[in-house]
Amino acid sequence: MTTGTAPDPALVHAAFEQVWGSMLFTAFEPWPADAVPELGPGVQAQIELRGDWNGRIILTCDTEVATQIAGAMLGAPAEEVLPDDDVHDAVGEVLNVVGGSVKGALGGVMSLGLPGVTEATSPPSPDSSIIISWYGAPVFVEVVPDAA
Amino acid sequence: MKILVADDSRVMRQIVIRTLRQAGFSGHDIVEAEDGADGFSKVQTEKPDLVLSDWNMPNKTGIDFLRDLRGSGNQTPFGFVTSEGSEEMRSIASDAGALFLIAKPFTAEVFEEALTPVLG
Repeated sequence: MTTGTAPDPALVHAAFEQVWGSMLFTAFEPWPADAVPELGPGVQAQIELRGDWNGRIILTCDTEVATQIAGAMLGAPAEEVLPDDDVHDAVGEVLNVVGGSVKGALGGVMSLGLPGVTEATSPPSPDSSIIISWYGAPVFVEVVPDAA
Repeated sequence: MKILVADDSRVMRQIVIRTLRQAGFSGHDIVEAEDGADGFSKVQTEKPDLVLSDWNMPNKTGIDFLRDLRGSGNQTPFGFVTSEGSEEMRSIASDAGALFLIAKPFTAEVFEEALTPVLG
């Protein structure tokens, strides 16, 4: 049962901003308010937080964006083809680091799960997402409490 | 010297190894382990001079890996490289015998500061 307060969107935003700069070496840019975010075939990574607040942080993006994120993390040349395992691993690790930051800032959250990455079956609702612009493509971030 | 890097993320192991290089610690032998259990086993066989370990891993967490090492009498220098860097975690790590805890995301400067006392 969740008794604590959900992570403040500003906290999640700050955690992503830090990861973008120091792990992906890319300027963090919010999605422009007047642009419609569209998602192609994609991947979805999620990580659970357990404690006073119970829920998940979920990241969804195009497969191509995920591949570019993995390449940025590894410092791989643009033409290098990364295996799917590495792409999933990299996106999961982005979320792992964000989850660690959020957990530390929240307090009262006792455990952080291991990141899981699957194919994205449907695009998240833009209204309930923080949307980051990755070179003009959207990266959706949702903070989802467990169902009551 | 030989450094064992334990992390369930292969990508993160590569980043840790790259950061070691960027921090000026080139030329050391690197051994990789994919979780705490693998790490514990490889400390016995590879006899590293330093262990850099993630905390949150399947099979055996980093803190259990460290406690098992110390419980078996093994005193290999051990540091965490983990996504959680709260004071509570740092205190638990230190009490178990860890030399340092580097929080992800990290920089080469942080690696240099933490590892120089061990690697010189």
